[in-house]
Amino acid sequence: MEEKVIEVINLTKVFREVKAVEGLNLNVNRGDVFGFLGPNGAGKSTTIRMLVSLIAPQEGSIKILGRSLNQNKREISGRVGAIVEKPDFYNYLSAYKNLEILGRISGKSISKKRIIDTLELVGLAARFNSKVKTYSHGMKQRLGIAQALLHDPELIILDEPTTGLDPQGLKEIRDLIIHLSKTEGKTIFLSSHILSEVELVANRMIIINKGKTIVEGNVSELLNSSNVKVTFEVDNVEEAKKVLETTRWSVKIRTFSDKEIIFELDSDEIAELNKYFVESGVSVKAIIPSRSLEDYFLKITSGTE
Amino acid sequence: MKNLFLVLLILIGINAAYSQSKNPDEILKRVTETFEMIKDYEVDVLINVNVKFLKMPDRKAKIFYKQPDKIFVESEGFALLPKQGLNFSPLTFLQTAHTALIDRVEELNRINTTVIKVIPIGNKSDIILSTLWIDESRNLIMKIESSTKPDGSIVIEFQYSKIDDNFYLPSTIVFTFDVDKVYFPTGITGEMNSESEKKDKKNDIAKQGKVTITYSNYKVNQGLSDELFKKESPN
Amino acid sequence: MILTLIRIELLKIFRKWRTYIGFIAIGILVPVIHTAMYYEGQESLDFMTRNLQQSFVFVGNLLNGYFISYIILNALTIHIPFLITLVAGDLLAGEATAGTYRILLTRPVSRFQVVSSKFLTGIIYTNLLVLWLAVMSLGVGLLLFGIGELIVIRSDTIIILDKSDVIWRFMLAYGFATLGMSVVCSLAFLFSSLVENAIGPIISTMAVIIVFIIISALDIDVFKSIQPYLFVNYILNWREFFNDPLDFPRIVESVSILLAHLVLFFGTAVYIFKKKDILS
Repeated sequence: MEEKVIEVINLTKVFREVKAVEGLNLNVNRGDVFGFLGPNGAGKSTTIRMLVSLIAPQEGSIKILGRSLNQNKREISGRVGAIVEKPDFYNYLSAYKNLEILGRISGKSISKKRIIDTLELVGLAARFNSKVKTYSHGMKQRLGIAQALLHDPELIILDEPTTGLDPQGLKEIRDLIIHLSKTEGKTIFLSSHILSEVELVANRMIIINKGKTIVEGNVSELLNSSNVKVTFEVDNVEEAKKVLETTRWSVKIRTFSDKEIIFELDSDEIAELNKYFVESGVSVKAIIPSRSLEDYFLKITSGTE
Repeated sequence: MKNLFLVLLILIGINAAYSQSKNPDEILKRVTETFEMIKDYEVDVLINVNVKFLKMPDRKAKIFYKQPDKIFVESEGFALLPKQGLNFSPLTFLQTAHTALIDRVEELNRINTTVIKVIPIGNKSDIILSTLWIDESRNLIMKIESSTKPDGSIVIEFQYSKIDDNFYLPSTIVFTFDVDKVYFPTGITGEMNSESEKKDKKNDIAKQGKVTITYSNYKVNQGLSDELFKKESPN
Repeated sequence: MILTLIRIELLKIFRKWRTYIGFIAIGILVPVIHTAMYYEGQESLDFMTRNLQQSFVFVGNLLNGYFISYIILNALTIHIPFLITLVAGDLLAGEATAGTYRILLTRPVSRFQVVSSKFLTGIIYTNLLVLWLAVMSLGVGLLLFGIGELIVIRSDTIIILDKSDVIWRFMLAYGFATLGMSVVCSLAFLFSSLVENAIGPIISTMAVIIVFIIISALDIDVFKSIQPYLFVNYILNWREFFNDPLDFPRIVESVSILLAHLVLFFGTAVYIFKKKDILS
């Protein structure tokens, strides 16, 4: 039985008669990189704020690291690091000073070396003495991650950690998440809109919409259980279409252009279709599956699956 | 019977003669002359102010006087002195044109005094009428009661002691005067009335103030220079 | 932990320019008043005492450091509250504006610790500001204008206090003023717990003070029944320390009522803050 690091049961939060979160259940196991997904306004931020005790639920319970959040908030906070939405700091102080202040109230002794090491980890060591108000958005984002990691927490909650980062930055954060998970054994709760990023790092996920759970489970299982969009690049589209006319494959055509035909297939049908094309004499130049969490996500949240 | 009638006649005669020989101007002249013997003096004073609306501790000061009307007051700190009484000098007072009348004889604090009414002539003076109690045996004024135009009445009572075996100078002067005509400025303070203060305002107790000045350490006829009195004196 | 938090809060407020406004304002205003008093003070004093001077001769100078400090204490009992609210109103609301509750309250500190440390920081600031006022007005005033008797003109008495009888009164009056200003601080702090922008608490606290002062000053029956409940009345009772004799029951009453207000405002702020959903 895996240890549950986050256990949310029947979580409900109402703001002025609007149910921001309704009957939410989720479980995060130790060592997970857990993707928390949903469109804008789905209730992600509200949920995260409840996980870090910034807001109180109307109903339901939250257990973190096996302890009830309601009764053990201070102890739990010492073992959890979090970024909630856009990271804001004391702009009139330097990055170092901000972290030093936070370090003094983190329940552990945080040395100067630890602060510098953390800043190095997120790529801010060169600018540690600059006032945060001089920082770009991306730098503040990195500093946000730094403050979440500063006290070496067991659980790290990251709310949109890659917003405003360039591709290099995205890669760095992705690598950092993988390192924290695989090498340091941290449990990571990651909410994001950049779904492709989540797909690359998360092993489990939940998708919510309008405050409710849509689906929860293993990333690879969820992806494989649904159709994949596959692009077949062919020499002669007309010829290919003719070949497909009377077969069951024709209903699986979604779109085509003068160079390619896009099918919606189960993952095991890809090889089958390719075999059929080859046997029918259609020259296939490339097969490009684009099934990803992104498509799945859009599908889920628009209600077509 | 005849003897009794004679005695009575003699008594009336003596009385008449006595009255006729009592000239108020002469009495006042003797007072003035007695006072003129004092050319100048320097004295330590202790001022006690007993006025309903005014609270202050007893103040010490030094008063310098030179004939006929020079006064200089020196104080280490702040001191208040009644305006009228301070400048009072029989010399100035009695040198303005006036009419004097003997009103009666009265015993004042076990001293026989002649009561003289003095009415200034002309409009120059603020004083409308003054009543003086004169101790003829020492030619000293024991009490003055004056009615003044702007400020109501003032009563000044004197007690004397002998200085240098020669002069009689006041040891205590008590000033009693009306204070209900003094108004209160709100000034810079903008006070809000407290309850107790409001109650007092409603009580229309006739407000009279009393200032008692106690004199000690007289130095008389030391030859004070005029320069002393040219120093900036308050008001 | 509270001491650590207080140190952090003090560091934060003294890195903000708005904290210095109060000190600078007093640093400018008091010398301006001193200068005005130097040139016009005697005239003002003569004017204030003109009626008294009809019956009495004044000997010696009432225009001294004590008198001017007394005037300054009066003139600034509206202005100092404003300077207090500038900082107190920002203590909680400012954190919301900056969005920094999200890094602060996710730390292992209780909400009570956070709100108490911020409140105590506000009180420390208040104490420092009043101390600065004392130094500037009394300290510098005595150097410039010297010592002398203090004339206190109340609504129907004039009190003249001997120069040796004044300094202890000022000490107690400043102490009392600190308590009064702490109540102002706690009210601004309470308002600060309700909103996410410092402007609101600053304006509403000043509005409350000004309205209460107006109600207290008006001699209308309807208002008279409310007057004893208005805390501003009691704040201005620092003047009682210049009464002779001291009205102890009144002083004790004022102190008690002010303390009660302080506890009430702070307690309410704690309650609100503990229950609040942090959405900033």
